[in-house]
Amino acid sequence: MKLFYSFVKELKLASRGFYFYVEIFMAALILAVFLFLVPDNFEKKGTEYIYLDMPSEASDIFLKKILDEDLDGKVENIKIKINKKEKNDLLYTTEDKNIYILKSREDVVYMADKERKVAAVVKMDENYKMSYEYFLQGYESDRYKNLLKIINVESSETLEATMNNQDVRPISTDFKFLSDKENMMPSVLVFNGSLMGLFIIAAYIFLDKQEGVIKAYALTPSPVWIYLMSKVAVIMVTSIISSFIILIPIMGTQPDYILLLVLLITTGFFSSSLGLLIASFYKNIMQAFGAIYAFMILMVLPSIAYFIPSWNPSFIKLIPTYPMLEGFKSVLLGNGDWSYVLTISGGFLVAGMILFLISNMRYKKTLMR
Amino acid sequence: MITVKNLYHSYNKDDKYQVKDVSFEVKDGEIFGFLGPSGAGKSTVQNILVGLLQLQKGEATVAGYDIKTMSKDMFNKIGMSFEQSNVYSKLTARENLDFYRKLFDVPTIEPTVLLDLVGLTGKEDVKVGEFSKGMKHRLTFARSMINNPELWFLDEPTTGLDPAIAADIKKIIKEKNDQGVTVFLTTHNMYIADELCDRVAFIVDGELKLIDSPKNLKLKYGHKLVEVAYLEKEKVITETLSTVLLEDKEKLENIIKNHEIQTMHTKEATLEEIFIKVTGRGLV
Repeated sequence: MKLFYSFVKELKLASRGFYFYVEIFMAALILAVFLFLVPDNFEKKGTEYIYLDMPSEASDIFLKKILDEDLDGKVENIKIKINKKEKNDLLYTTEDKNIYILKSREDVVYMADKERKVAAVVKMDENYKMSYEYFLQGYESDRYKNLLKIINVESSETLEATMNNQDVRPISTDFKFLSDKENMMPSVLVFNGSLMGLFIIAAYIFLDKQEGVIKAYALTPSPVWIYLMSKVAVIMVTSIISSFIILIPIMGTQPDYILLLVLLITTGFFSSSLGLLIASFYKNIMQAFGAIYAFMILMVLPSIAYFIPSWNPSFIKLIPTYPMLEGFKSVLLGNGDWSYVLTISGGFLVAGMILFLISNMRYKKTLMR
Repeated sequence: MITVKNLYHSYNKDDKYQVKDVSFEVKDGEIFGFLGPSGAGKSTVQNILVGLLQLQKGEATVAGYDIKTMSKDMFNKIGMSFEQSNVYSKLTARENLDFYRKLFDVPTIEPTVLLDLVGLTGKEDVKVGEFSKGMKHRLTFARSMINNPELWFLDEPTTGLDPAIAADIKKIIKEKNDQGVTVFLTTHNMYIADELCDRVAFIVDGELKLIDSPKNLKLKYGHKLVEVAYLEKEKVITETLSTVLLEDKEKLENIIKNHEIQTMHTKEATLEEIFIKVTGRGLV
């Protein structure tokens, strides 16, 4: 009963405080952005800027080939602002690319250098030998650079034949896809739902320290773990509310809400226990801010890997937000993979319990100091 | 009720102790004043006794519980009023008290009764954030009584209160003591100590200098003097005479017999004067 009374008190404090409304406001804001600004699927077309450094007869053949792939079979005459001057250029729109044909090598260099675009010069020498000069930005992966090298060495026919000879079979036929917008939801749930708890619970503890109420609590027969658990419970409630505010209007009935609840509770328990432990080492929020910030940055890394599949180092899998993201994705797909989600939830529950026990031991010693 | 033997404490956990070899006993039902200037070690000793600071060296029992192996049950028997009020500013006065009473395993006092006792009737449903400093202090004081403590720790209970409210607080302390509550009063205010305490202990620089009743201290250290103002040839003459020296006693007798007395007071040393005399230090 003491836990219940403590929880009710914490709910009252949270509902009359600042952080609760920050979380709800953030959830409403995220919902508005996703409903009104984020399209269901993003434009995936690449954009290339090319200068054809070759005799006009050769460039005509080259352009004819591109035109064959153009969606409406028509070239568009467009104006592009290059180095403060408007220039007349050509645009070809294929299924996967927007190809701009520029009029000089300098224009291509400008677009690569100043506008950070993918740009290339296609050359033909006097022996009718083709060469390709790419202007990259410096962050491209070796895999991408190798692809650029190979794509122009082998003929497109050879490459196509090799691709066609590869036998790709899906191991499951009963799989679902998330739209681009829906695919962003796991990341939103991890940060708004689970990781906000890490910061907010520390803020709650420091507010209590500032008011001195912790000292008064320490002089009651009520154990420290009840004090801590009531705060964790409030964090979990606000995390569930804010997650559902975002998720229900966007995802409708597709997610498995029971599994989602289980995962939100266990991940919320884990992150708020982590927040408790971090806060136990500091006297005020200003001192703790550096450590909390560092942990939150670390937790962001799997999200970067989530959106950039080409960057996926092995250590990422050791960061707790990695399985969180995968778990939320599975729940949102609604594919009924209970064992996978429950395994992840169990892991967070156990890890959260260990962190909570350590926090409890530390707060018994340091709560009032 | 409290036994302290050879208590030492160092905040840096080295041999530069802020509390050095402190030993004393507080008997059941007495009001024990722990007096000293700021930084003397009063709060350190008190915080060790209530478990807010870890016992490093020495022995202490509080309400029958050994501080080294302190049980949470001890807190059902003790109450503490803090010098700095520490209540939830976002909760109302009633909600604050309601929450705390539910944390105890013993019968507790109704919040309205406590609020009435400290003059906060009508403020039950006002958020504490809207309270004045004095009102918050009274609420903190009221909360310390919520579990009917057998042993009551009071840290500067009247500091910052106006005289009328301070008088009410002193009255409540007296009444509780009359009901058998043992009081451990930490203060640097010698007047409240003089008024309330059965015994006082003087602590300076972490060392206990003396323990005795205010009455004994005055007898031991005070001058036994009488200040008398009388009329002589229509002029008021004031003299201070010893009640011990024979010569002064005869002079006083003569004045009383032969002159019209305007005023006459016995002059006792104040507790503050005794403190300065014993410790060589002021109280601020």
